[in-house]
Amino acid sequence: MDVVDLARMQFAVTGGLHFLFVLLTLGLAPLVAIMHTRYAAGGNPLHERMTRFWGQIYVINYALGIFTGLVMEFQFGLNWSGLSHYAGDVFGAPLAIETLVAFFLESTFLGLWIFGWHRLPKALHVACIWLVTLTAYASAFWIMVANSFLQHPAGAVEQGGRLVLRDFGALLTNPSLVFALPHVISAGLWAGGFVVMGASAYHLFRRTPEREFFTRSLRLGVWTSFIGSLFTVGFGYAQFGVIESVQQGKFDGAVPGGALGLMITIGQLGQFAVMFVLLPLLIKNWIARWRWLHPVLMLIVPLPFVAAIAGWLVREVGRQPWLVYGRLSVADAMTPGLSKAAVTGSFAAFAGVLGLLALVDYLLIARAVRRGPGQVALGMPDRPADPAPVPAHSL
Amino acid sequence: MEIFWFGVLAALLLGYFALEGFDIGLGILLPVLGRSQDARDRLVGAMAPFVLAGEVWLVAVAGVLFGAFPSLEGEVLSGLYPLVVTLLLSWIVRDAGLWFRRRADGAIWRRVWDAAVCLGSTGLALTWGVILVALANGLSAPPLAGVAAGIVVALAFCLHGWTFAAWRLPGDPAVRGARRSGRALLLSACAAAAPAALALAAVGSGVVGYAAPPETLTTLGAIVLPCAPILIGAQIWVWRTFRRGALPTFF
Repeated sequence: MDVVDLARMQFAVTGGLHFLFVLLTLGLAPLVAIMHTRYAAGGNPLHERMTRFWGQIYVINYALGIFTGLVMEFQFGLNWSGLSHYAGDVFGAPLAIETLVAFFLESTFLGLWIFGWHRLPKALHVACIWLVTLTAYASAFWIMVANSFLQHPAGAVEQGGRLVLRDFGALLTNPSLVFALPHVISAGLWAGGFVVMGASAYHLFRRTPEREFFTRSLRLGVWTSFIGSLFTVGFGYAQFGVIESVQQGKFDGAVPGGALGLMITIGQLGQFAVMFVLLPLLIKNWIARWRWLHPVLMLIVPLPFVAAIAGWLVREVGRQPWLVYGRLSVADAMTPGLSKAAVTGSFAAFAGVLGLLALVDYLLIARAVRRGPGQVALGMPDRPADPAPVPAHSL
Repeated sequence: MEIFWFGVLAALLLGYFALEGFDIGLGILLPVLGRSQDARDRLVGAMAPFVLAGEVWLVAVAGVLFGAFPSLEGEVLSGLYPLVVTLLLSWIVRDAGLWFRRRADGAIWRRVWDAAVCLGSTGLALTWGVILVALANGLSAPPLAGVAAGIVVALAFCLHGWTFAAWRLPGDPAVRGARRSGRALLLSACAAAAPAALALAAVGSGVVGYAAPPETLTTLGAIVLPCAPILIGAQIWVWRTFRRGALPTFF
């Protein structure tokens, strides 16, 4: 592999990992916010337990979203300084707004939500998780604005060998954005719904004492997957016309073509299965009572994630060899004079550390699911600030 | 407009050193001040609610660099390649320590992630020292000056972290019963931010020449400025909520 391939591979590995985790973040955030709202409004302890249990899954998953996101942000400057030199005056703006407005607030409010149990008034605490959700979706919006600019550099003209911003509104109404944004957000809901379904099915299958808790969760998971899958598929097909007009031949290569087939297969079959099989099974709670079905619900959890990665490959590999479509090639965007040793070393370090942490994170999510709502750390009582008395036989 | 955005960049970097410096300092001091698992849990519990609101200032620095000074962003980050990679790895290891240390039981699990917090924090402080020297010195750091600066930054962060612990846990055995006022914390924040201020002063006006064209800067300003009161308000809310009282246990 030459230097460009290595730098591309590094971006693909960190970006792919990042996508897996933020997808679930986007899907779970509104669900946790709804659960928390219902608890705050009605005071039902079951809703509090649901908020804490699913909120903890959400928060554990969130950690890896941050770690991989940090590498993503700095990687542009490390390996792709040609991009910031050529298109930074345009492409940098949505990224700057994403970090400065959306993520800055998301991180601040997330801290308030995680550590604010027993401390913030109930209404303000609920407001925090809604603000986290809102800013997470704002982040998704600005990142998709930036990505859509790479797909179709609208609103910019070349001047003196660099792109300059002419029409910011054209960035926000980019045809590559308008259907892709709801497509990816719905895919997040679908992924969130499948995770909630799979985890609930595990407890129902094991016949743990939390039957009511997981029956309700399972039903919520089915509804979320139904809405998510319906809009994912709808906004997926809606993109064909746009792609035909701005990126002809996008699916011609082996990778984008194959990934597109895989995504459509999973998407179409999955959407039919949710709509025509799982949704009717909500009647009389058959879905919670038919125990043989539960291993199936556990096994299909990875499907929306596989489809999402496939869709991301279609979009990004289908853009090759361009970084900014029709304007700047990937090879020209690489940092001038980047050495093979530097990329290899950073690739090994980032992939090794992030890969290991991602594995640990998934094991921790599985552990949190297995332990169930009885042992949730999120929202546990605080400990007094005064130190505990020192035991007499302290080692 | 260029000068305004340089001011924003400088404020965010100084804010990062002042608000994240004590987390990093406490992380370095974790094995020294927290001899027992209980003491380490108390120290981490004291700083935990401030970490997410503090580290995000550096994310914003990178964002402003990319949005308002794009060609500088590429030049600086790629010019400091191994340092930026080390900084990121240290940051991730420190964060992983904080997020994971209480997610499972077992003495070994806890020790491993507490060590990650200390190792990552130490890496962050030392790397920042070298980066600041390199920034002030045209993107190359003489080894001796770099190491010296790394130690200075680490010491300043440790002072800030210790002051924070004595302010948030007044009279606690972990800080040998010391008590520090809010004013002392403000002073130690200035000490933590001083190295960054020196580097910024050395770079100074050179940065302004790299600014994006006025069209980009105006657009950025039109969207970011109206949100500024919310950004600042949320930060103040964090400090008002968690400055006193019981210690959260999630991290």
